[in-house]
Amino acid sequence: MSSGGRGGKRRGAPPPGPSGAAAKRAHPGGTPQPPPPAATAAAPVAEEEDMMDEDVFLDETILAEDEEALLLLDRDEALASRLSRWRRPALPADLASGCSRNVAFQQLEIDYVIGESHKVLLPNSSGPAAILRIFGVTREGHSVCCQVHGFEPYFYISCPMGMGPDDISRFHQTLEGRMKDSNRNSNVPRFVKRIELVQKQTIMHYQPQQSQPFLKIVVALPTMVASCRGILERGITIEGLGSKSFLTYESNILFALRFMIDCNIVGGNWIEVPAGKYMKAARIMSYCQLELDCLYSDLVSHAAEGEHSKMAPFRILSFDIECAGRKGHFPEPTHDPVIQIANLVTLQGEGQPFVRNVMTLKSCSPIVGVDVMSFDTERDVLLAWRDFIREVDPDIIIGYNICKFDLPYLIERAEVLKIVEFPILGRIRNSRVRVRDTTFSSRQYGMRESKDVAVEGRVQFDLLQAMQRDYKLSSYSLNSVSAHFLGEQKEDVHHSIISDLQNGNSETRRRLAVYCLKDAYLPQRLLDKLMYIYNYVEMARVTGVPISFLLSRGQSIKVLSQLLRKAKQKNLVIPNIKGQASGQDTFEGATVLEARAGFYEKPIATLDFASLYPSIMMAYNLCYCTLVPPEDARKLNLPPESVNKTPSGETFVKPDVQKGILPEILEELLAARKRAKADLKEAKDPFERAVLDGRQLALKISANSVYGFTGATVGQLPCLEISSSVTSYGRQMIEHTKKLVEDKFTTLGGYEHNAEVIYGDTDSVMVQFGVSTVEDAMKLGREAADYISGTFIKPIKLEFEKIYFPYLLISKKRYAGLYWTNPEKFDKMDTKGIETVRRDNCLLVKNLVTECLHKILVDRDVPGAVQYVKNTISDLLMNRVDLSLLVITKGLTKTGEDYAVKAAHVELAERMRKRDAATAPTVGDRVPYVIIKAAKGAKAYERSEDPIYVLDNNIPIDPQYYLENQISKPLLRIFEPILKNASRELLHGSHTRAVSISTPSNSGIMKFAKKQLTCLGCKAVISGSNQTLCFHCKGREAELYCKTVGNVSELEMLFGRLWTQCQECQGSLHQDVLCTSRDCPIFYRRRKAQKDMAEARVQLQRWDF
Amino acid sequence: MERKQAEYSNLDERYAIQGEKYQGQQYSHIYFTRLHHMRNLLHALVPSWKPHLPVTTVLGLEEGKDCIIVGTLYKHMKLKPSILDEYSKERSAIPLVKPHNFMHPDDHLILEDESGRVTLAGAIPPAAYVTGVVIALHGKETSAGNFLVEDILEAGIPPQITLPSINEDKYVVFVSGLSIGSEKFNPLQFQLLIDHITGHLGDENEQSIASNIVRVVVAGNSVHISPRFFNGQAVASKDQSRIAEPIKELDIMLTQLVASLPVDMMPGSNDPANFSLPQQPLHRCLFAGAATYNTFSSCSNPHQFELDSVRFIGTSGQNIDDLYKYSDAKDKLEFVERTLRWRHLAPTAPNSLGCYPYTDKDPFLVESCPHVYFVGNQDKYETQLLQGLEKQKVRLICIPRFCDSGVAVMLNLRNLECSTLSFSTSFDA
Repeated sequence: MSSGGRGGKRRGAPPPGPSGAAAKRAHPGGTPQPPPPAATAAAPVAEEEDMMDEDVFLDETILAEDEEALLLLDRDEALASRLSRWRRPALPADLASGCSRNVAFQQLEIDYVIGESHKVLLPNSSGPAAILRIFGVTREGHSVCCQVHGFEPYFYISCPMGMGPDDISRFHQTLEGRMKDSNRNSNVPRFVKRIELVQKQTIMHYQPQQSQPFLKIVVALPTMVASCRGILERGITIEGLGSKSFLTYESNILFALRFMIDCNIVGGNWIEVPAGKYMKAARIMSYCQLELDCLYSDLVSHAAEGEHSKMAPFRILSFDIECAGRKGHFPEPTHDPVIQIANLVTLQGEGQPFVRNVMTLKSCSPIVGVDVMSFDTERDVLLAWRDFIREVDPDIIIGYNICKFDLPYLIERAEVLKIVEFPILGRIRNSRVRVRDTTFSSRQYGMRESKDVAVEGRVQFDLLQAMQRDYKLSSYSLNSVSAHFLGEQKEDVHHSIISDLQNGNSETRRRLAVYCLKDAYLPQRLLDKLMYIYNYVEMARVTGVPISFLLSRGQSIKVLSQLLRKAKQKNLVIPNIKGQASGQDTFEGATVLEARAGFYEKPIATLDFASLYPSIMMAYNLCYCTLVPPEDARKLNLPPESVNKTPSGETFVKPDVQKGILPEILEELLAARKRAKADLKEAKDPFERAVLDGRQLALKISANSVYGFTGATVGQLPCLEISSSVTSYGRQMIEHTKKLVEDKFTTLGGYEHNAEVIYGDTDSVMVQFGVSTVEDAMKLGREAADYISGTFIKPIKLEFEKIYFPYLLISKKRYAGLYWTNPEKFDKMDTKGIETVRRDNCLLVKNLVTECLHKILVDRDVPGAVQYVKNTISDLLMNRVDLSLLVITKGLTKTGEDYAVKAAHVELAERMRKRDAATAPTVGDRVPYVIIKAAKGAKAYERSEDPIYVLDNNIPIDPQYYLENQISKPLLRIFEPILKNASRELLHGSHTRAVSISTPSNSGIMKFAKKQLTCLGCKAVISGSNQTLCFHCKGREAELYCKTVGNVSELEMLFGRLWTQCQECQGSLHQDVLCTSRDCPIFYRRRKAQKDMAEARVQLQRWDF
Repeated sequence: MERKQAEYSNLDERYAIQGEKYQGQQYSHIYFTRLHHMRNLLHALVPSWKPHLPVTTVLGLEEGKDCIIVGTLYKHMKLKPSILDEYSKERSAIPLVKPHNFMHPDDHLILEDESGRVTLAGAIPPAAYVTGVVIALHGKETSAGNFLVEDILEAGIPPQITLPSINEDKYVVFVSGLSIGSEKFNPLQFQLLIDHITGHLGDENEQSIASNIVRVVVAGNSVHISPRFFNGQAVASKDQSRIAEPIKELDIMLTQLVASLPVDMMPGSNDPANFSLPQQPLHRCLFAGAATYNTFSSCSNPHQFELDSVRFIGTSGQNIDDLYKYSDAKDKLEFVERTLRWRHLAPTAPNSLGCYPYTDKDPFLVESCPHVYFVGNQDKYETQLLQGLEKQKVRLICIPRFCDSGVAVMLNLRNLECSTLSFSTSFDA
């Protein structure tokens, strides 16, 4: 994210939209800003998180009140009363009128605006000031907007030696002058409000003295932190001290986060404003039911415990839109109308949505249990949706791909239609929502382009983004995601059909509406199923960042937030060190012991280090503030007994000298996790359990991400001394464990066998003790874990967790085995690194690998597995494999010209467009293809073909391609440790000699061929049109008929099962199945069954003479 | 002695799919036709059932208002096997369900018409109904959007042509589940049956009874062909001829029968016929010997015919077996009775029972009540004379599998009374 570069660009451009007052989200006062600090402008994407303040909303974007009144004129009365049914419960009388009771609410969003400072609450200030806004919901379900006054932006610099109070005021004046120069057009009376001398200590490196003087610089507006920092970093001349450039501290923290840290507020916690400490807003700015003004010092922030760990009844809106695209194009807002919007609103904690409605363009037949609202113009549809949002007032907006598609589409469409009053979707009156392009880049999640639609006061939660973050799946289509998590196939209507349905009658539009509703419901169900609300709120509470950060930002902000909180307690300040993006400072990673590949038929015990990296950091007190750099080591002359030298050569002081902050954070996280897990065992209430489980998960993830934070070279506070020490300790421990195990568990030591370490990964070691029962191996495993743990510094602990038996070790990071935690029965089959779910594999590979592993590990039947492979290969060569198993799918992300290398799916899309532009895949679609037989020497990308086309025209597939490029590698990987000559045995045996290739029905040569009937028994050509068998086969008539009819019978069974399944997914018996979901495993089978059926019946009819 | 004759007319025409083709049609049409036909019937019955209530569609429901809706039932079943299970991620070692019944306490019914669906609650037991039945319901919509059922109207037993009066004993013999080619088949047992029917066995009295047998109906599963011949793998040439062995054996035995009296041959689920209902007649080329007699007739399943104006209808059992998988009743006869009351031989087709995708008709609708309704391949012999509200009388028969029980069923056309012919080849029985 880089707002610096972006902000600069936008400022010059006229605001889009017809009205000059279109929402413009920029810097305060709309004044031209100085160029953003060089650091951010020069490297727009390099930083994972740019700490520039962005959550600023302008007064200017707010429309004049008379304008507002105009907008609300001539709204449909009937619609208004329809929508008003879904309003929030009315405020109780005392809250509605007075200020006589405490207001407690769970906050979800915190941002700020620049406004005049509050005259009553802050009688001594004037001019523009930052006003924080906290949006939340009370226990009774009332929405609250709390405006917090008096919190000022600040940062630190270290005080130059010998600076006295007079020097400070001179320094103040100089700085003020420089600020004025670079912010000429600003109407702020004073830029630097004050400079205070404080006693603090830097977090960087061990410092023997407790504190030293720092200057706390308080500025007028949050954005001035950056410009002031720029001035100080570049250097400033101070009278008497000369020119000096400063290192700034805590100068890159988002203002809202700064506020949360200072007020002890964590994401998603409960906040209480005591009676008498707040006042009702004089001028209502938001659509919230309750709008308060108060001072930041009067807020009471509750820790998430007991009553305050519960969730408020948030309103969650799940929605989906349908657009009528033109044939052959993906819908574009400039051309294609929005025709339907389906909405479901659910109260947090309830199983069923309480609002179900769909807004349609043109009439639509009613749907049971759904409010259908039809409109004649698109304008009315869009405005009705806006009104709906305003009435229902959702706290959280969810959907599938809403951030990149639905929301931007609606807004851009409204712009095209010149509906200026549409995008008022946030909670602030008359503040328009605008679309911006953003890129998000992070080491963990990769670079991602996205659109950012800020809806003030409402949290957006795009399930697609969440899925992409949290799960590795082969496909992220809503269909395959719901198949994966909900076990359901989703009906998929191709976008070329959508327009036809829309242009039909009210019945066909109803059909579309039902589909649209289903798409709106699935995200809600995913949200429930995966406990996303609980997990994300808990993550926000544990790490202390707002919920919206969790989806839009990377890992490091979470660690930074914890670090800042802890540092504040310890009176430490964090320097603003920009990471060097250079990759020179790499360090040696984790160790992996040599894997002794093989198939182990004796139990393998696995010894795991529990939370290895966090434990190392705790055990050896590794932290920023305990690190002693080599130059200091000489100076300080620390006695050797009070420091640890790490294997990578760094020096850290021991905890009795100075306790590290990171170890302390980790201790707290792990202790909290232990507590959460214990509470989880006790808890009965399912909601409470959900919260606790979410919490323990969040704690675990947070603990593990601390190490990564120190190693992120482009992060906020990289410290490679720490991360390389951690990994070096890790390596040492793995080696140490191996040595101890192999020394102790020997026949000489009185054990039955010599133990052997066959493999070791980052934090685990696999040992073969040589015993043959799971029970014995468990006993020895436990003994070894206890013995070795005793040799480590606490809290590093080696645990015995599981046995693999049998165990197939292929190479490092690739293995499979049966997983045992009790001696009676294995728990599951565990595999790692064996591609069963890779995207560019066809289903055949997945099935084959899974089945083989099952046969080898569970059935212990290696010959059976070999036979299975042979049969499958033979089926493949004999053209007996179901085509859907051979389909390979790839996403088309850009058009053909943009791809540097020719790719199979791109070429195919191009060819399909020439055949029929209407149904050809467009950018954004997934392209399924199979590899067909073609002329010798044809490139693989030329041999891709549409599976449907292949089915319809009997085109032969290329079994050799599948054999060599798809199945051989994964198979050999599995079988090589087991079989000698695996390749010869499996891939070149006698079973590969019989080959059958179908004859294409559309190839050139067939045009010259004459069709003749052949005997069904022996394929001899027979003369006479009404015969089935040749003379010789006549005697086998009964037998051959049985085979023909048996074939028909099988196909009929398949046909029935496939088509009734589709009816079931579709949820209707009386309507034709429309679904064309190519992600569905039975789509091609269904099509093939239909075709085969027709052919088989023709064959059968030949007997009827 | 001379064998008695009865006038026979075959009514299987409606089950023929000779001219039909698979042209991409789907199953929605058959439901549509069924609903259309049954709704007309039910609407006609409503005035005499609850004349004061309005009849509406699922869409027209208003919360809290009493009304009648007519539609097709859909039963949502948790345990219903799905073809998608083949693709599920985890394979479980033990099958979770007993294979014979997919019922679960969470099952619920949904009523569907062209306008929409509504979930049913109240006085309608999910266990007694299956997907595909068309009924009328009295009830009202609840605030949760469900339909609270108060009363159910089924179409009931259809009208019947009057039973002709026949003054003499004439018997029809039903046999099913011979399973020639399976281990259970006992050739001697079947030979005894043949000899008994053809009059080669027993004393004069028995022979005179045998001479009153006017027809034999073989209700499915006459042969058993090992499934390994059809799993797509190549069959060794020496095995190829073995496929047809059971059929040849059947042909030889059938030939003895057809030489002395007419035989109706119905296909069943294990026979070399198509899978979907209606199953088409077994091909004559399978019966090189028997087919040369004009007394041999190969029929469809379901099979419908008249003997001396007594109306018969019957199946080889798939329709009832499927009801048994997806619903619950005290005995098999109750399932049989239900199909009559629902006026549909196979309501679960096409949902869980294979069926041809008709576009313009639903051949399984029962428009006129038969006098005899038989179902082949059941576990045990059961029978009942069902009386309808309009004095309809139907003889319901469950024919046991002959290979298990050695029992054939004999029906007297004169009084629709039923008895069994039991054959055993062991002495202690």
